[in-house]
Amino acid sequence: MTVLETLLSGQLLFAALVTGSLYALIALGLNLVYGTMRMLNVAHGDLVMLGAYGAFAAFTLLGISPLLAAPAIAAVGGLLGYGLYRGIFRKILAGGSSTTAVRLESNSLLLFFGLSIILQNATALAFTPNNRAYNYLDTVYRVGDVAMTGNRLATLLIAGTLCIGMALFLARSVLGLAMRAVIERREAAHIVGVNVDRVQWLSFVLGFGSAALAGVLVSMLGQFSPFSGFPFTIAGFIVIILGGLGNVMAGLLAAVLLGLIETYGVALTSANMRSVLLYGAFVAALLLFPNGLFARRAAAR
Amino acid sequence: MKDLCPNHGWTLLWITCLTCLGALPFLANDYLVGVGLTLLMWLALTQSWCVLSKMAGYVSLGHVVFFGLGAYLVVVTWQQIPLVLAVLGAGVLSALVAALVGLPVLRVRGPYFVILTFGLAELVKYTLTWIESASGMASRILFGAPDLRVIYFSMFALALAAVALLTWVGNSRFGHGLRSLRENEEAAETLGVPVVRYKLMAFVLGAAIPGMVGAIMALRSTYFVVGQVFDPMISVTVIAMAILGGGDNARGPLLGVIFLTLLSELLWANAPLLYMVILGAILIVFVLLVPNGLIGLLEGRRAAASASAGKPP
Repeated sequence: MTVLETLLSGQLLFAALVTGSLYALIALGLNLVYGTMRMLNVAHGDLVMLGAYGAFAAFTLLGISPLLAAPAIAAVGGLLGYGLYRGIFRKILAGGSSTTAVRLESNSLLLFFGLSIILQNATALAFTPNNRAYNYLDTVYRVGDVAMTGNRLATLLIAGTLCIGMALFLARSVLGLAMRAVIERREAAHIVGVNVDRVQWLSFVLGFGSAALAGVLVSMLGQFSPFSGFPFTIAGFIVIILGGLGNVMAGLLAAVLLGLIETYGVALTSANMRSVLLYGAFVAALLLFPNGLFARRAAAR
Repeated sequence: MKDLCPNHGWTLLWITCLTCLGALPFLANDYLVGVGLTLLMWLALTQSWCVLSKMAGYVSLGHVVFFGLGAYLVVVTWQQIPLVLAVLGAGVLSALVAALVGLPVLRVRGPYFVILTFGLAELVKYTLTWIESASGMASRILFGAPDLRVIYFSMFALALAAVALLTWVGNSRFGHGLRSLRENEEAAETLGVPVVRYKLMAFVLGAAIPGMVGAIMALRSTYFVVGQVFDPMISVTVIAMAILGGGDNARGPLLGVIFLTLLSELLWANAPLLYMVILGAILIVFVLLVPNGLIGLLEGRRAAASASAGKPP
């Protein structure tokens, strides 16, 4: 097969869609926590990693299928988010006045960074720092000339459904509207009677839960280690920067775009280029579109 | 001791530290000299980090990039140009890189700056890793590196230079400008502080020293892999040390550096993962509960003592 044939086949497109849907799901959780509280959760990818280990442990130790364990793992992730919000972040949010807002943001980032280091190394202590993987749903299905494994199909379906469900929840339900209100104008939302505290803890629960669930999907696809979470955080950031705050549908498109860049970039060069591409896209997004986010943030204050 | 003027106490601490560190190579075995070298390395890195990140409040998570570039320059030019030139060149290269990327990068603020600097450092790391593997260089070994004591005193000089730089900046008009833009960038600009120029100057000034530190540490380890000299944990450790120490002068980081270097000596060899967990916990506890760091605790207690004694602090 020549390079051109590879590029034109549906195979790469399918791979890009799978990656993109995963990134969309991961970015969604990140977006909720960032949008409602203006805190960059750099530990988000580590929650994905924890979810992967949860599925790994359930599968290898208890023999439970990852897809059956997924709701429980998501629930544990959500619970962790709730605990952290109650224990740490509610206090900081309450203490921050608008003059110290910028410093609060840098500080919350350092807190999440500390959390990230703890999660990575505690996982390495518990599971050893080695790469892990297991085989699950690896039957190959063929549609036309595209070969798809069951786990990739499942990932695409589950991540896609969850993202669209989340978009509907934000667009239609009362709670979703409240969430969007807080994302756009926090003080104003508070004045018109939105329970900001409830929206915030719910964002933490949904954000952490969806990250853990994305981790289950990640674990079915390939190898992972205690330190493989961070690239997911970066991918999530790229999607948020490109897609915009609280804008789930635009985020979905941005995620697919990133999936395309990554998949086709790697196919054209080599697997070693994956990280270069990812971080390159990240730096480019931040430098070229810094005002996209900042303009919105300034408007929100 | 309460009557002792606070500055005398600090002068005493500095003199004690410097005398001990200066005398170390003549008295101690190679292991202890190595520990001293590590301490001096962190001191130089942390003090230079503070020039931009503590003074102006632009928290950089990419300090390691200068360290790595310096090390890389020495390795690439190994035995082709004189070492002194390579080390000095490492400083110049780092400053140049900072000057080049500074303008676009310093436009980005707050948490975006933090995460952008991290992303940039990782981008450089992965690009160099890719270049090295494409050219068939998985790792390199340096033969004929200078004696440990030569390395030690070069690092000693760099640490002194970093402390002097931060102290000078802290007391200068320039430093007050940086502090003012940390508190409120728009207000500072309105009052005539040249914020863009000041930020860039701080970034460039703080970049030269870690470049040279990286160059010297490459001579110490003699074994070179890109992933190791661009390890993001170097940046994290620098931040942890600065935050642990607190304050925006040279004293706070000194306390943080001593504490964490000793802790890592105790734990690193036997329990590196546990050390990292503790590092993360320190970051959280200090950001959350002790935002002014160890120096804030010390000086807060002193201020309380002098206030209760009826003296103005």
